Amino acid sequence: MLEAAIEILLKTVVILALPLGALPLIIHVERRGAAFMQKRLGPNRVGPFGLLQPLADVAKFMFKEEVHPTHVKPFFYTAAPVVALVVALLPLACIPVAGPIEAFGRTIFPEVFRSDMGIFFAFAVSALGSYGILLAGWASNNKYSMLGALRACAQMVSYELSLSTSVVAMIFVYGTNDIHQMISSQTGYWFGVIPQWGFFYQPVAAMLFLVGIFAESNRLPFDLAEGESEIVAGYHLEYSSMKFALFFMAEYIHMIALSALFIIMFFGGYSLLPGFDLIAGNNPALIVVLQVASLVIKVALMIWFFVWVRWTLPRFRYDQLMNLGWERLLPLGIANLIVTVLFVYFRNR
Amino acid sequence: MAIDILLTLLTVVFSLMVVFSKKTVVAAFSLLMTLLVIAMIYFQLGTVFLSAVQVLVNAGAIAILFVFVMMLINLEQFQNNREKSKWKLIVSTLTMLVLLGVFALVINNNIEALSVVNLTDNSMKTLFAKLFDVYYLPFEMATVLLLASIVASIVITSHDKAEKLEEK
Amino acid sequence: MSIYYYLSAFLFCLGLLGTIFKKDLISILLCLELMLGGVALLFILFSKATGFLDSQLLVIFMMIISACEVAIGLSLIIALYRKKQTIYTDDIKIITE
Repeated sequence: MLEAAIEILLKTVVILALPLGALPLIIHVERRGAAFMQKRLGPNRVGPFGLLQPLADVAKFMFKEEVHPTHVKPFFYTAAPVVALVVALLPLACIPVAGPIEAFGRTIFPEVFRSDMGIFFAFAVSALGSYGILLAGWASNNKYSMLGALRACAQMVSYELSLSTSVVAMIFVYGTNDIHQMISSQTGYWFGVIPQWGFFYQPVAAMLFLVGIFAESNRLPFDLAEGESEIVAGYHLEYSSMKFALFFMAEYIHMIALSALFIIMFFGGYSLLPGFDLIAGNNPALIVVLQVASLVIKVALMIWFFVWVRWTLPRFRYDQLMNLGWERLLPLGIANLIVTVLFVYFRNR
Repeated sequence: MAIDILLTLLTVVFSLMVVFSKKTVVAAFSLLMTLLVIAMIYFQLGTVFLSAVQVLVNAGAIAILFVFVMMLINLEQFQNNREKSKWKLIVSTLTMLVLLGVFALVINNNIEALSVVNLTDNSMKTLFAKLFDVYYLPFEMATVLLLASIVASIVITSHDKAEKLEEK
Repeated sequence: MSIYYYLSAFLFCLGLLGTIFKKDLISILLCLELMLGGVALLFILFSKATGFLDSQLLVIFMMIISACEVAIGLSLIIALYRKKQTIYTDDIKIITE
């Protein structure tokens, strides 16, 4: 009993520490990446290459005066950032950072919540993501905040549909809901070089999912919830200092969690990158380290992709966003699902 | 056992807030919390799949619809300007207490038969084997019902069509 | 586990109480959801006690039907609000215009 409790506690600490520790680095990469794409220098004064800038930002957030507007609804105003952050952290519980480890005479699964329908749970809890934003928008008692929250909520609910169709298609392809089985069926190679990732089975589903995660995490082609030229700053207009920082963290953690899910389904999750299996050989400890490294590298590339897209595509107009979601992506997703189901049916006959 | 009592207490508190809170938005968020705690109870009872479905469908979609509609029609302009009939509340509470007493009696008399655990195979595979075997036709009907309700809600709320009809 | 039977009865009664004495339509729909939640909990408990999976499947059907109910109910409320600018049951006394 005690052993199990310590195991869960350790896993929780590790799985919370990885994304939260990487957060300052990601924000730094985002700012330097933005500067790189706009031919600027970006933050480069604090520390070598400006690497200590995020720490300085954190210090600033902490010591800044907390402005508490008088016209807000106090309880919900305070609760909203916490809800946003907690809900963003929940899907991480289902994400394994490495394969099952044989140690201390038993098999340890390196995820907090082990279930044979892990992928389903991850999406169930990430469906709650809009509540933090909705609460913030409503509690701020401000028209711009309310507009931002309503936009964000409608957008998340609409894009969840096309996202779910692609998830269901992938569950059909792998024939399982278990994340470990999903990943182990992606470990092989075609012709010895091309990894058998889900992306090559289902490029359409991968595209749908990619668009979906941009919309779900409110990132730039779809950041209508913030849209500073139209509705000032959207749902976090009334928030300052650490409360604003919590929203900021929630957005990035949502991004990390959804990218990790994308990688699990379409790019082999923690399965070794091509070339890593030559280094690893048969040493089990080295394999685990390289698996974690593979996952981290893949997620980092995804984050870079997010930054890249942010400074490449302009913001959508609201009706364009809804048309894209309901009239283009959803029919495409359903058609893809039907084709996949027929294909799987005839393959298994 | 302690966790059972804790979950029950949480459900009771949140469900009382749904009915007796003054603001409807607070009631909606309490309903969300009630649904989430009920999902936890499902999890505690071992029906893991249904708990995930509860979070996904009831908490993730239905409760959001409620909050969304409340924000659309700006409920606060109505709050607190209605007289409440005290007698109606008292009489209906008494009636409900009697009904609850009857339910409690029925449960109490059969408590031994009810608290056995016979559920052995609870995996998603057996559940869905049964769904697509015995309940195939009802499931298809339910999907048609969902489609019909989507079309119905679009038709009911569409602004332009109603105005055009009135002009004619 | 047996405490949940009383909980489901309580949820059902509380929801019924709310549907009777609440005055605005959205609160009534919320209380209907509460009743459905209590009944669904009872079905799960029955499935646990009897070992039949049928009642778990019934819960899935209940979720589908409650989704339909909420979608149509809320859209009716919005249509009513556009027409009459109210959502209170007291104000809606005339069936035809």
